[in-house]
Amino acid sequence: MCPFETFDHTADVGLRVRAETLDELFAEAARGLFSVLLENPEAVERHEMVELQLHAEDLAYLLADWLRELLYIFDTQHLVFSEFQVKVNERRYTLSALCSGEPLDWSRHRPGTEVKAVTYHGLRVEKHGEEWLAEVILDI
Amino acid sequence: MAEGYRGPLERVGPYQWLIPQDYKPGMRVPGLIYASEELIEQIRRDQAPEQVANVATLPGIQKYSLAMPDIHWGYGFAIGGVAAMDPDEGGVISPGGVGYDINCGVRLVRTDLTVEDVRDRVRELVDLLFRRIPTGVGRTGKYSFPKKELRKLVTEGPRYLVEQKGLGIPRDLEFTEAHGRLEGAEPDFVSDRAYERGEEQCGTLGSGNHFLELQICSEICDEEAARVMGLFEGQLCIMIHSGSRGFGYQVCDDYLQKLRGVPERYGIKLPDRQLVCAPVNSPEGRQYIGAMRAAANFAWSNRQLLLQQTREVLQEFFGRPWEELGVHVVYDVAHNIAKLEKHRIDGEEKWVWVHRKGATRAFPPGHPEIPEAYRSIGQPVLIPGSMGTASWVLVGQPGALEQTFGTSCHGAGRRMSRAAAVRDARGRRIDQELERIGVIARARSRRELPEEQPKAYKDVDLVVEVVHNAGLSKKVAKMRPIGVIKG
Repeated sequence: MCPFETFDHTADVGLRVRAETLDELFAEAARGLFSVLLENPEAVERHEMVELQLHAEDLAYLLADWLRELLYIFDTQHLVFSEFQVKVNERRYTLSALCSGEPLDWSRHRPGTEVKAVTYHGLRVEKHGEEWLAEVILDI
Repeated sequence: MAEGYRGPLERVGPYQWLIPQDYKPGMRVPGLIYASEELIEQIRRDQAPEQVANVATLPGIQKYSLAMPDIHWGYGFAIGGVAAMDPDEGGVISPGGVGYDINCGVRLVRTDLTVEDVRDRVRELVDLLFRRIPTGVGRTGKYSFPKKELRKLVTEGPRYLVEQKGLGIPRDLEFTEAHGRLEGAEPDFVSDRAYERGEEQCGTLGSGNHFLELQICSEICDEEAARVMGLFEGQLCIMIHSGSRGFGYQVCDDYLQKLRGVPERYGIKLPDRQLVCAPVNSPEGRQYIGAMRAAANFAWSNRQLLLQQTREVLQEFFGRPWEELGVHVVYDVAHNIAKLEKHRIDGEEKWVWVHRKGATRAFPPGHPEIPEAYRSIGQPVLIPGSMGTASWVLVGQPGALEQTFGTSCHGAGRRMSRAAAVRDARGRRIDQELERIGVIARARSRRELPEEQPKAYKDVDLVVEVVHNAGLSKKVAKMRPIGVIKG
């Protein structure tokens, strides 16, 4: 099973992520985002690290804010990432993350699709039995 | 995908379908969708009509919650939705009624060149455009505007580029909706993040459905209007479809967040959280309006810089100054915007905030906001088709002011999701298919052409037929694509 997949949503792209832990869920969602932005996210090497701390009013908003933050870094600093060490506090809705990647390099990174924004429509982070599930729609 | 709409749609005219006001509680006006029988069947397939009904619950809405024939599901408001709010009746402004891409729009550019001048060299010209004009995710170009300068740019719009930088001529501004400048832009209400995202993106095309297309004017339907606009059969034109880039997306995103909880504060009950809004006459509403206007001015500046780069390419390609090639703006229209306009409502003149989300202003002949040169024919309405199909030039008609707050449609509208289009294209070469029908297409991403293939869109001719027959706008010319660059 692929930990993240995309699903159809009219003109846009939905991300559906499944994981055993919240930490892994958030990391996979980030990988999902970069798989939309780049056609070959596996080509991203890791020589730069960025640290992030976030806080939101619930887990769903925390996920949206996390992806928005990465999109903002991509858009303004032209950095791409391939590994994410994420720690999510389930009760306080806080996150700290260490993202590893490198500057965008069009000689090695193949462009995917521009993401305008992370939307709130159908946004969810839920636990089903032993598994966490998240869905988020990206505006293209 | 979401289930289809099962609520009422009563046919009340040849192209009008009504959602009665008693369909759901809280509706202040009925919903009204413009469509043919064929299109209404497609429209029923998603929840867009439900969204039309939801918008009808917003405070201050006048007459109808309207939708154009290219309507489809959007965040909060449907794409193709039109709503006019009266501030004196508690009317609201809603970021979802404008969209993420504030002032996404279309600029049509004409030349004195004809199909003969490019006949065997289209590929060469498309390749040069593709090399020179930044397209696609993460691509930046030769322009950069640090915050201090960007503040000026979003306050002044392309006038700043023309007057301070020589990037264009005053004539470009004359033939741009609102002269490319909404007054009352408030750079202080724009976040630092928006300035950072906008710094290197002015003059870039983007990806998704944005494009820059070489077109041949292939059919004239209204000789007089075409003559006035300087269009003739066989002419080479350029159509640019892009918006406010990261700057505008960030403004929308910021205000969707800032306005969380605001409707409740003003006692506004929403059927869908994404209709988040604020009264026009409230501090929150005024802030969004100031920021939205700045983003609109950014978008017009972006299309101005895309035009300038196109002029440079044509100059290089044909070895003559662009002025000699007659590379001029026909018109530039916004199709994601909210504007304060005067409209006659139930016999009374009122200032209302008209939201057009995926809808184009279509003012009729004689309207004071139309450039003087076009006042006898009406405002040009530019309707892009999909990559392989025609685009249309229309002009606004009196029916638009009478029925739809001076509004017409904006495009074809998607029929397939992106993923479905990619599945459909598996094993095919879309670039080669397009070439066989005479269109040279270039895209940075390998996903772009499959996702944007012609089959993924509705038939733009059917959409245009409705607005033409319903008296909202009149066909002037059909434009056939011969080359396109995308993201």
